[in-house]
Amino acid sequence: MAARALGWLTVLALIAGLGAAFGWAPREAVQGNVQRIMYLHVPAVLTAYLAFALVFVGSVGYLLTRRAGWDRLALAAAEPGVLFTGITIASGSIWGKPTWGTWWTWDARLTSTAVLFLVYVGYLLLRGMVDEPDRRARAAAVVGILGAANIPIVHFSVKWWRALHQPSTILGPEPSPIAAPIAAALLINWIAFTLLFAYLLAKRMEIAQLEDTHAG
Amino acid sequence: MPDNWGYVFSAYGLAAVALLGYWRRLAGRAKRLARPAVRAGNVRQG
Amino acid sequence: MSVYVRRAWMVVWKDVLAERRSKESLNALVFFSLLLLFVFQFALGPERARVEAALPGLLWLGFILSGLLAFGRAFLIERENDCWEGLVLTPGDKSAIYLGKLAGNVLVMIVVEVVLLVLFAVFFAIDFTPFLLGLAAVLALGTLGLASVGTLFGAVTAQMRARELLFPVLLLPAVVPVLLASVSATQTVLAGEPLAEAAAWLKLLAAADLVYLVVGVLTFEFVLEG
Repeated sequence: MAARALGWLTVLALIAGLGAAFGWAPREAVQGNVQRIMYLHVPAVLTAYLAFALVFVGSVGYLLTRRAGWDRLALAAAEPGVLFTGITIASGSIWGKPTWGTWWTWDARLTSTAVLFLVYVGYLLLRGMVDEPDRRARAAAVVGILGAANIPIVHFSVKWWRALHQPSTILGPEPSPIAAPIAAALLINWIAFTLLFAYLLAKRMEIAQLEDTHAG
Repeated sequence: MPDNWGYVFSAYGLAAVALLGYWRRLAGRAKRLARPAVRAGNVRQG
Repeated sequence: MSVYVRRAWMVVWKDVLAERRSKESLNALVFFSLLLLFVFQFALGPERARVEAALPGLLWLGFILSGLLAFGRAFLIERENDCWEGLVLTPGDKSAIYLGKLAGNVLVMIVVEVVLLVLFAVFFAIDFTPFLLGLAAVLALGTLGLASVGTLFGAVTAQMRARELLFPVLLLPAVVPVLLASVSATQTVLAGEPLAEAAAWLKLLAAADLVYLVVGVLTFEFVLEG
């Protein structure tokens, strides 16, 4: 029943996060209320990075020990990770429309998140292509390890590529000096998203374990 | 700058739909796995 | 150590020999490069300025498309006649097989790249000779990056269903940094600027190559089990 308690704690934290994002945090001076998308966008991307870090941990753990539990961890982290990167891209795009005037710009952060999204969608597709558990876990682990090792490389290459081709004149969507209430609202939402991720991870791992026992 | 509440709500709404959808799929799967006898019946119907 | 090198060398030698006998891959790949040139020409139209502006991107598009075909094949040939079993049963460190296959893939890519450069030079009347040294440096680092991931993922997907779909879907996003860095560095070189201008990109490529190689060497034995 620990999972149930975690679930309710998550609900409470999310409500608190929404309250902080819409009630407590002030209307941002430059961008207006559209800046409130930040309390969704930034926690989502941070949680996605946490998820992919866990995919890496699960992958390494499986290759070292060959215990199915590690593979379940990698799977259970990858699915919400892809979900959270999707939310990051969608919210960034919706944020971009009123601030930049277009749904999509090849902004460094949006682009590298999109690349990560593609890498881990590929990872999930790969998992769907193999039926035999050990083979699937090994193949997925290799891709998961390379994908995680690639994250900093993707980050820097995309950042430099943007800086090279278009010295960015538009400021990022974040307000430059982050005021204390804004930072606090971000922190609350970040905690809420991390709890939500932990809950989804636990739930997904439980399902994977049940499936494994049913399969024999 | 105008407030663009429409954009704010669509961003949060989209995220809520995606997360709730995933959660409901997980809950459905967990329920079916918990009762294997019912599961066989479901498969025949669906 | 020398046993390790010899083991890797055996894999290269075996593949080169098989290729020399059958001439299966290389002929088709060279022909594919020629076809690509036509596709580029038709897509861009007759204006020379457009071709010149897009040249670095076109070159790397050609390399990566040829690479997708070449890397996918490298382990496919091992599936025939149960050769895979032979590789699995090979005693000692399996990463030697990875490095051997990687070397083979790099060799194939070098041939394809030289052919594509010559074709571009002839058909689009572009003189590459003043840039050859810089171009060679960029090509070497970029090719190593493409091939090290391509060899690993080619092995991972070799035994899977929908392999020919899955392989590009996995490889293309993973090599985005290599493509960005290679295209940018090639642009610098072809603009006639000194190689030092592209130093940051070359360093990034070298770091990426190193990371991919280390991951490949460390994880390959788990891939090979089949």
